[in-house]
Amino acid sequence: MISQEIVLEAKDLSKRYEDGQLALDHIHLTLRRGQIYSLLGANGAGKTTTINLFLDFLKPTTGQAFVCGIDVEKEPLEAKKHLAFVSENVMLYGNFTARQNLEFFAKLGGRILTKEDVYALLRRVSLQEKAFEQRVKSFSKGMRQKVGLAIAIAKDSDVILLDEPTSGLDPKAAEEFQVILKELRAEGKGILMSTHDIFRAQEVADKVGIMKEGRLVLERSREELFEEDLVKIYLDYMGSPRSMGERGGRA
Amino acid sequence: MIAPLVKKEILSNLLSYKFIVVFLMTILLTALSMGIMYRDFDARYADYMLIRPGAGDLITMTPPNPFSVLARGLDESIGRSYEINIHDVVVRSGQKSNNLIFRFFPTPDLLYTVQVVLSLAALLFGFDQVCREREQGTLKLLLSHSVSRGELLLSKWVGNFLTLVLPFLTVFLLALLLLQLDPRFSLSWEGWLRLGLMLFLFLLYVALFLSLGILVSTLAKRAATSLVILLFLWAALVFLLPNLTTLAARQMVEVPSVRGLSEKRQQIWTREILLGIRDFDPKAGQQGVASSWRRHFDVVNHEQDAMEEEYRHRFGRLVSVAKSLNRLSPVASFVYGVNAVAGTGIEEESRYKEEVLRYKNRVYKGLIDKSMLGKEVSFPAFHYRYRSLGETFREGLWFDLFWLALFTVLFVVASAVAFLRYDVR
Repeated sequence: MISQEIVLEAKDLSKRYEDGQLALDHIHLTLRRGQIYSLLGANGAGKTTTINLFLDFLKPTTGQAFVCGIDVEKEPLEAKKHLAFVSENVMLYGNFTARQNLEFFAKLGGRILTKEDVYALLRRVSLQEKAFEQRVKSFSKGMRQKVGLAIAIAKDSDVILLDEPTSGLDPKAAEEFQVILKELRAEGKGILMSTHDIFRAQEVADKVGIMKEGRLVLERSREELFEEDLVKIYLDYMGSPRSMGERGGRA
Repeated sequence: MIAPLVKKEILSNLLSYKFIVVFLMTILLTALSMGIMYRDFDARYADYMLIRPGAGDLITMTPPNPFSVLARGLDESIGRSYEINIHDVVVRSGQKSNNLIFRFFPTPDLLYTVQVVLSLAALLFGFDQVCREREQGTLKLLLSHSVSRGELLLSKWVGNFLTLVLPFLTVFLLALLLLQLDPRFSLSWEGWLRLGLMLFLFLLYVALFLSLGILVSTLAKRAATSLVILLFLWAALVFLLPNLTTLAARQMVEVPSVRGLSEKRQQIWTREILLGIRDFDPKAGQQGVASSWRRHFDVVNHEQDAMEEEYRHRFGRLVSVAKSLNRLSPVASFVYGVNAVAGTGIEEESRYKEEVLRYKNRVYKGLIDKSMLGKEVSFPAFHYRYRSLGETFREGLWFDLFWLALFTVLFVVASAVAFLRYDVR
């Protein structure tokens, strides 16, 4: 039985850049252990900014970001102990092999892995065996994403932040990715994932949030989404010609 | 947390082409430099043994300085022999390098190798440390872990510093061991201390350029931009600034030419000889004649000493102004510092010349007696004692050490401040 404690929380979180642009506008969100939260939204909606604030890459203009109850701005290093991160385009040290990259980042995460542990992790993310000892500079994006996910798993943190992790992946790789996410959820990890992939979000997420112009304009639970069409809701909020027409029709 | 980061930096460097090039270049140039300079020292030492003064010769000369193998500086000038005669101190040749190529190109001693090549290598290691990680995207992954920016920067500094200096240290120490087989290089405890201090200056200098490289890499958005900026700074600090400031100093302080000075000396001598002939009185007897000539020689000696003192005063001012301006570039402090520790610096040369003049004044009376009265006079042998390390430290070395360390600390602090504010996105 996984506890329902909150592992990630944004309280009135805003970010205004020095040039005056408001990237995030007073958002509130919570993520519990064993939950996957999908953030949807167009480019520039504020999804990545939200993740960056949890990672302390940015300082909030107002509000607070908490990881396992730790204020990220006040104790960033302590908060990051509970976080793992996979970016849209995982970049690794090209001169290192997949194993060396994984060993190095696991050490940074405070874990010493044996060669067998490393290989087991790489197998878990479905990286081909022959690539384990290859330099990653020759890896495709899909292979790098797999190593990135293995790094996140190796850290064994409470929260995993994923910034559009499946964008640009082939359908098979994306499917494998999704399977692993479900496994991680079952292990009690809290996962916050920004994505453009509405279908995958609907399939895997326990909670979906739609962001627009820095605001979290809608939040739905998995149960609520059984009765609603996420694609339609999303397009409604994004103001697509089709949905606007439909809305007009209703009016 | 810093150990895996340092290890990563070292491993990352070891696997790069950049390291292979710098490693081979450092080993080759350090070994070559020490080999060439040892041969040069050997040839100069052989010359010294051939022409060194015998007992009673009024010639000042000192053997080549073993440290000139590392930093040749003005050793050739310090080891120059001077002949002391009744009317002048004449420069004789001696200890001239047999290698004519040295006259066309800078002497390839270890100081030059470190000054030019290792500084460039340090910049090549430092220029992309932060901006390349950002460009590649690895910086975000790194900082998503529980690693402080300070730790990350420190690990980059330590890892790259170790990778840079280890090949250099290996060859340097190996070459020193080989030199120890030659008895001319057996060192006293102070000699070892000097060697240690020179090594410290070499490492501090490498640290300075590495810190500058890392600083620019935190300020520039792109690695290519950082490289261009750093190459310009390197050329300015290593070549442009020291040369331009020396030219500026020459404009600011006027020093008579050596040739003019020599002609003036000749004029004084000729004038007093003519006056001596005029005053010649055969009735005065041997003592009277000698006494008359002695008065003229005293005038020559006195006026020439005064001229020399005036020249040295002006020259000293030129050196002082030039050094102050040169130090706008910390590279000048490095060069002055290393040469001072080696005993081949400008202060040592100046001190040697002063010592020669003092020696001349010590033997002057005996020289007159011998020349005028035909007395048998035994002259004390000339012996030059190099400045002790303590004297060297008090007479300017402390400032060069402080100046180099200050620049290094400033660069490190500035890069830390810039990195703390760095946008990693």
